[in-house]
Amino acid sequence: MPDLPELNPVVHGKLRLALLSLLSTAEDAEFTWLRAKTGATDGNLGAQLARLEEAGYVAVEKRFSARKPQTLYRITRAGRKALSEYIQGLKQLLGTALDNEG
Amino acid sequence: MLEETSRQDLKERLALIETMMAEGRQTTQRWGWSFLLWGVAYYIAIAWTDAPHGKWAWPITMGAAVLLSFIIASRSGGDKSRTTMSRAVGSIWLAFGMTAFLLFVSLGISGRLTDLRVFIAVVAAMLGMANGASGYLLGWRVQMGCAVIWWITAVSACFLSVSRAGIIFLIAIFFCQIVFGVYGMLEQHRTRIRRKAIHA
Repeated sequence: MPDLPELNPVVHGKLRLALLSLLSTAEDAEFTWLRAKTGATDGNLGAQLARLEEAGYVAVEKRFSARKPQTLYRITRAGRKALSEYIQGLKQLLGTALDNEG
Repeated sequence: MLEETSRQDLKERLALIETMMAEGRQTTQRWGWSFLLWGVAYYIAIAWTDAPHGKWAWPITMGAAVLLSFIIASRSGGDKSRTTMSRAVGSIWLAFGMTAFLLFVSLGISGRLTDLRVFIAVVAAMLGMANGASGYLLGWRVQMGCAVIWWITAVSACFLSVSRAGIIFLIAIFFCQIVFGVYGMLEQHRTRIRRKAIHA
């Protein structure tokens, strides 16, 4: 029996997983867009984005647009790799779970 | 890890990834209002053409529609995300707007836009191209359907009488602008209801 993959605990949190999945489809995205898409509260969203930034999976850029402060987030290469590996791990675990049932 | 995480949970996580990726790619639905607005603008311009000062109908109505689109888009704050897809779809419609503006203003000023059927054929063909490219990029069959209706309208206008071509043009506007616009807005509303809060 092959070794079961360990799922990355940083990616594993549901909101963090949702954020990485969303950011993987965008070049960059505003905090408000991420909040609208996930339905998360400001506090929770900020905390989870900070954790992803700490892990090097998300990069943050603060700037002004039409005199309003704007915070832009984008997924890094390491974040994309972590998400990809997480999906592979999930699929492998699901496959094993199905094999065990059969 | 497998003991801690049930199969159901794993499936839910895969579904969450798929849903979020689809959400990120969603661009055109939020522009349903724009299709509706432009459909109404076309109807106003057509109705005004035969009324007093009819020569100003198209420039004024289209100018007002551009201004309204700009105001509504800036109030809604735009997409707040940049994707390759949204840039591709946006560039199609921007190019359509610029082409239509330059072509029809030039034809109007030069006085060479004399046959209504040519006008309908060109507008419908351009709308068919924009809807077709946008629908194909987004993999959205409903918008591809709109493109087919516009292409049929363009071809019909080349062969039918002025009055029949006009009627087909009005029907195409109804389905591809008004109905499609309302459908886009309803889909966006449904998506908003379906969206549940996700917690870490």
